[in-house]
Amino acid sequence: MNILASFKNVAVKSPWIYRINAGSCNGCDVEMATCALIPRYDVERLGCQYCGSPRHADIVLISGPLTRRVLDATRRVFDEVPEPKVTVAVGVCPISGGIFRESYAVLAPIDQYFPVDVNVPGCPPRPQAIIEGVAKAIEIWRERL
Amino acid sequence: MSNQIAILIAVFLFPGGLFALALGLGLKGADRRVAARLQGRVGPPLAQPFFDLVKLSFKTSMVPTTANETVFFGAPVVGAVSMLLAVALVPIAGVYTPPTLLGNLLVLLYLLMVPGVALMIAGSASSSPYGALGFTREMMIMLAYEGPIVLVVAAVALHTGALQGGVVTFSLTEIVAYQRANGAFLFDPVMWPAIAAFALFFPANLGIVPFDIPEAETEILEGPLLEYSGPALGLFKVMSALKAVVVLGLGIALFAPFGPDGILGLVTWLVEILVLMLLGVTAIRLSSGRMRIDQAFGFFLKWPLMLAAASLVAVVAA
Ligand code: SF4
Repeated sequence: MNILASFKNVAVKSPWIYRINAGSCNGCDVEMATCALIPRYDVERLGCQYCGSPRHADIVLISGPLTRRVLDATRRVFDEVPEPKVTVAVGVCPISGGIFRESYAVLAPIDQYFPVDVNVPGCPPRPQAIIEGVAKAIEIWRERL
Repeated sequence: MSNQIAILIAVFLFPGGLFALALGLGLKGADRRVAARLQGRVGPPLAQPFFDLVKLSFKTSMVPTTANETVFFGAPVVGAVSMLLAVALVPIAGVYTPPTLLGNLLVLLYLLMVPGVALMIAGSASSSPYGALGFTREMMIMLAYEGPIVLVVAAVALHTGALQGGVVTFSLTEIVAYQRANGAFLFDPVMWPAIAAFALFFPANLGIVPFDIPEAETEILEGPLLEYSGPALGLFKVMSALKAVVVLGLGIALFAPFGPDGILGLVTWLVEILVLMLLGVTAIRLSSGRMRIDQAFGFFLKWPLMLAAASLVAVVAA
């Protein structure tokens, strides 16, 4: 049992990240893609890596208010991520719809459709906040491994 | 009997198996760390590739419903095993000579092609359109780099053979022994074009920028690897870690087998391989962008082929 636990402690140092854009204005995506990986705010030091395929991912970052059009596609991509996984909602859009709230075209809050574990509010959130969100997600992920 | 045990040790413990795996993962870690530092980031810990591997073993493996399951899981196994054998074929100057029973330079060349083929099969077995794209790209780039590498190896084999008074020798052990007695080919002008051709070959064989076209993650989402997850993906990571050791080790054995006998020789070899990795892989990876497949194809049929042929002609004429 002890060996398994120590292996889990090692495994938790390698969370790979996948981004899903569920109708975001791209503001959050720019923060995630460029800010979190540029010299100043380096998520790679947590062992993170952005991956191109959802099948490689451990932590899913969803941004955007989830428009009606992308619901189906988002669900399908989300199901492609193998267990155990953790979901982080980035931006205020997934929480309440943000500036798109009360629109006929959006389905926010997205936790009606996806099991959101961590919310990172902000429009867009600061890179530090995103990294903190990822760090929180890693804590949750450790329990699920 | 003792021969079989020697082979088993060579394949599973040293220099193959555990040792090579640790070295390959360490090299990848060093590559990522140095790359991050050069970009002004902190970067991941040195053991990061090892963490990744452990993590992948905890994940579930998913199989696409349209995929052929046997082939889908067979491909990574074949790739990893071929590299396990290949490492045992690479001599380390003054430390390790591969058992003759295992094979020679030609066997090694064939084994070096297997990972590419495994990736191609994996891509097509996954039945994803991106996998199929990766398949065609992998095939094209293999066609492009196989020519030059065969010529490079032929040049070295003929050169050693002629210098030894024979015609040609395909035994890596003899090639290394000759260089240790008479000076490395690194200082032999006849071999310089071949060395340049080899330097261009190994980024393509290892699948890194600018020749990572078959696995371009921003274009075709990692191509053949797209549908893989969990332990099967881990096996592909093992394969590429071992491949780095094989290709770099082959380069050292062919052109620069320095180092005294014993433990110091091993240390020299490790330093050499690390320097090669950082200069030949990290530096190139960071300072260039990805080529298009037609550009890469044209490039390989022009420069490396010409350089390797130049060496070969010089060797034959001499
Ligand atoms: S939270 Fe703001 S920046 Fe992010 S997607 Fe919504 S509107 Fe854009």
